[in-house]
Amino acid sequence: MDLALIQLLNGMQYGLLIFLAASGLTLVFGIMGVINLSHGSFYMLGAYGALTLVGYTGDVFIALAIGVPLAFAFGIAIEWLFIRHLYDRDHLQQVLLTFALILIFNEAQKLIWGSYPHSVPVPDYLQGGIKISALLSYPYYRVAVAAFCVALALAMMFVIQKTRVGRIIRAGESNREMVEALGIDSRLLFRFVFASGAALAATAGIVAAPLESVYPGIGEPVLIISFVVVVIGGIGSIKGAFVGAILIGVADALGKVYFPAFSSSVVYAVMAAVLIARPGGLFGRAA
Amino acid sequence: MSQPAILAENIDTHYGRSHILRGVSFRVAPGETVSLLGRNGMGKTTLLRTLAGLVRPTSGSIRLNGADVTASRASARSRAGLAIVPEGRGIFPNLTVIENLTFAARPNSKGERPWPLERVYALFPRLAERKHHWGNELSGGEQQMLSIGRALMTSPSIILLDEATEGLAPKLRDEIWSTVKQITGSGIAAIIVDKNLNDLLALADRNTIMAKGEIVFDGSSAALRADEALIHRHLGV
Amino acid sequence: MLSTPRPLVILVLVALLAYALALPFFGGTFALKFASRIMIIGIFVISLDLLIGITGMVSFGHALYFGLGAYSLYFISPESAAANGFLAIPFAILLAGAVALVVGSVAVLTKGFYFIMVTLAFGQMGFSLFFDTKIAGGTDGAYINVRPVFSIGSQQLLNFSNRTAFFYFCLAALVFSYLLLLWLVRTPFGRVLQGIHHNEARMSALGFNTYAYKLAIYVISGAMAGFAGVLFAAIDGYVAPELLGWRESGLAIMMVVLGGAGTIYGPLLGAIVYSMVEETLKSATELTAIFSLVMSGATAKWLGGIVANSWSMALGFFLIAAVLAAPKGIAGFIEKFAGEPKRAKPREIKPPAEHRERAKAMQLEVDNLTRAFGGLVAVDGVTVRFPPNRVHGIIGPNGAGKTTFINVLSGALRPTRGNVRLEREEIGGQKPHNVARRGLGRSYQRTNVILPFTARENCLLAAQAQHPSPFRFSNSWRREEEDEAVANALRAAGIAPDRADIRASNLSHGEQRQLEIAMLIASGAKLLLLDEPLAGMGPEETGRVTALLRELAADHTIVLIEHDMDAIFAAADTLTVLVEGRLLAHGTPEEIRMNAAVREAYLGEWGQEAKP
Repeated sequence: MDLALIQLLNGMQYGLLIFLAASGLTLVFGIMGVINLSHGSFYMLGAYGALTLVGYTGDVFIALAIGVPLAFAFGIAIEWLFIRHLYDRDHLQQVLLTFALILIFNEAQKLIWGSYPHSVPVPDYLQGGIKISALLSYPYYRVAVAAFCVALALAMMFVIQKTRVGRIIRAGESNREMVEALGIDSRLLFRFVFASGAALAATAGIVAAPLESVYPGIGEPVLIISFVVVVIGGIGSIKGAFVGAILIGVADALGKVYFPAFSSSVVYAVMAAVLIARPGGLFGRAA
Repeated sequence: MSQPAILAENIDTHYGRSHILRGVSFRVAPGETVSLLGRNGMGKTTLLRTLAGLVRPTSGSIRLNGADVTASRASARSRAGLAIVPEGRGIFPNLTVIENLTFAARPNSKGERPWPLERVYALFPRLAERKHHWGNELSGGEQQMLSIGRALMTSPSIILLDEATEGLAPKLRDEIWSTVKQITGSGIAAIIVDKNLNDLLALADRNTIMAKGEIVFDGSSAALRADEALIHRHLGV
Repeated sequence: MLSTPRPLVILVLVALLAYALALPFFGGTFALKFASRIMIIGIFVISLDLLIGITGMVSFGHALYFGLGAYSLYFISPESAAANGFLAIPFAILLAGAVALVVGSVAVLTKGFYFIMVTLAFGQMGFSLFFDTKIAGGTDGAYINVRPVFSIGSQQLLNFSNRTAFFYFCLAALVFSYLLLLWLVRTPFGRVLQGIHHNEARMSALGFNTYAYKLAIYVISGAMAGFAGVLFAAIDGYVAPELLGWRESGLAIMMVVLGGAGTIYGPLLGAIVYSMVEETLKSATELTAIFSLVMSGATAKWLGGIVANSWSMALGFFLIAAVLAAPKGIAGFIEKFAGEPKRAKPREIKPPAEHRERAKAMQLEVDNLTRAFGGLVAVDGVTVRFPPNRVHGIIGPNGAGKTTFINVLSGALRPTRGNVRLEREEIGGQKPHNVARRGLGRSYQRTNVILPFTARENCLLAAQAQHPSPFRFSNSWRREEEDEAVANALRAAGIAPDRADIRASNLSHGEQRQLEIAMLIASGAKLLLLDEPLAGMGPEETGRVTALLRELAADHTIVLIEHDMDAIFAAADTLTVLVEGRLLAHGTPEEIRMNAAVREAYLGEWGQEAKP
């Protein structure tokens, strides 16, 4: 029972982490109409960036403070170099170009950091955990990560519902041309959104680095799961991404407890069930 | 005398391989109301979209209040005082009425806001009643009002109205025209595309007719009314 | 519609075939193996083009079927003996097809971005099934120790251990697959798939069950990928979970796009070019040789080493350059030089003897019909009867619920309450394609023809909708009567004979609207629901189409929404006025013109000066 509880907590915390990555993906698709397969690469670069930055600074939160602006800037560069050529093209070409970006990022990762797994230390002040029973405890760092993700989710929802930037983002989802015609330079909007997406994925990668080892291809499962979450939640919906991510996190964790042999299939079964009931996702506009 | 609000010279616009605008030159004086008439597919909407910067011309130049904007984006032209109320209205369905209205509210180049929220509400009391409704909860007429109101809040010096009364009941149409009259009366120049010839003739200072991507008539309402053959050939009324 | 391959394309393909036939006479073992591999991948990618390029379904999980095909050889092979190819190949095809049927039945519910992601997710599910468990060696993959042989009884016909035999088998398999697809896309079935690609809603409204069509092609394409997979496993005798993974799926998409989606031969060329580029980039010596053409030997060697070391990065840049420079792929280049496609000459159809008897059309009854969206009631308790062989106009302000009303009638929306009866049979709440099959055809507010098809091809699809089963692979069955229906429909809708064989995208706006009506006639509909058929027409066109509507009423019932008051008051036998979702009035044009409530709510000053 305690094990199931721990798994459930882990599942929620994993879901929150996935939410960060998936929210970036859903924004980029919802507003820019771009399918970004290289989204997982930003997560990977975040995790490896954490490895390097923690090496210099010794603390993953300092790495976060430095890494997120770097990821944002990197996102701007990638948008300017590659992504902006895709806005008027069809999905197929977006898939092709961003798939090619994965090949490039993966190779770059190998050249810089090599092919061996690494680990990133948890900060000293978050060592240890909350005792759940005589034998089991729940690590402080995981609690901190969950709290951080929740705070970030609330901040994002506030920005989107209550601020001018949020209004522009919502308007961009429904009618990009009109946003431009009303005096907002959509090039800048797209660059901002893409960079924000990259920064969100990198944020997830950085805070996740101390939770598991950092290894080549670490971003790819995150990419796939993020897509599952976006499909479940409905494209462009931050709220949907949040609900979908938690659902997937919990399903994954419980799957590991109850169907260990098929644990990784459980999330896809959940997705199939949601799609049969609501082909446009939980919070999507009609499909 | 000040610069023309819009001065377009020798505009050519293509969509893919089709040549839509053929050497169009077009001028609107400050505060002038100009109708743009012609059958469907003759290039009226493309001309408005080219002027607004939503379509790039292949050649020609466009000046807005004297400044060359040929190379500038739609957003830059909007900030320079051009507003478009597009065909289909372009309401943001997932923003409320008040969010739509204030979306791009900004002062004009002199720092004035001639159309603050209260004045827009006074012009369209229906919008004030529905200010917290979502854009997609409005009727067609209300959406049209919202689109015009939103354009006014950008403090434009010229407003382009594309199919301003399309799909509206005849009664509602009269309401929209009377507000357009108030708007143009306030000194904003306007280019208006619509199907209702008689309404436009009553409203416009000057009328233009497009056919096959060219301007084939430019003159007063009286001159146009007098030329029945022309009306019949290009407008078929 | 996909045209017959142009002479230049045939030339390229024949040259490749001749090269392949000759290869075993001069090529070494490596060349044969490499070429076999490309041909197998070729089968895989053209099966994917059937989904992506022909039907417009971008599947990101196609490797699932390729991988399952490969694994089926492992499953069917005894530990240390050869499997019989006569069993292995059908088994692979059946396994892949069966899984495609299960996955497809869910995936095909979705469209666009969702379809991409859902197929990706199912592909990953298949991958993790092999990766996370111990099935067939789990993560490490598994070896097939002995290559399959084809034997009947003790008679061995073909042994895959023989490289040359295997090579020729693969070549034959590729040629067969290519010709099969070429034939398939030209059958009535394939024509509908292409129609779905360009305009699914229209196909559904014509009476085609697009879900069944899409599922059928998904299964066919999956089975074909399984066929490629089983051959692939025979190359190296090794299978691994990666074969099912998303990278394989992604690479297949790369090849399709690189070659040019929707042309079938393009993706094949894409597979060839991609494989050669990859092989070149991996080889330092080849790169050095290439670079030394433009730089000194030492620099070339240094650079060649660096690029080969990070070849997948170089491949990434190559793909990006290719997609930005040539969005239509290799086929796009070839088509540029190949000239305009020739289209089949239409058969001569003799005009109908004389004016036919006035056929009785269908009657539509609407009873207390209500449709709500959440709290918003768009259509509110409308009861009205549309008798046969009349023109019925529906008018009312925007937002009055007119389009919602006919969307419920045509099955595009389900009624919240109330009944719709066509000739006394309830059709409310049925799917659009079922409603269409009962004889109700509709047109749309925005012109809704299939733009890349000619007017005749559009009508042919519509005529085909009278027998809309997906399993129509014969080009001759019913062709004559369908050709006749098409010719009559084109004539009835007033489309000039010299305009019938040019693409719909090159027709004028008015002609496109007429084409829509022609499609409805060709589909055999007896009741036509037209949403603003006069929108955007000039006065002569309006006059012509109004007259056409009157003529059509001889054997159709027509219900139309229209905003052009002059035209509708002239053309209609009855008018129905909707305001805020409710029926305000129903009667003859004269009654409506005089109706005080209608004036108050809708018409206002209109028609005051008009003569009575």
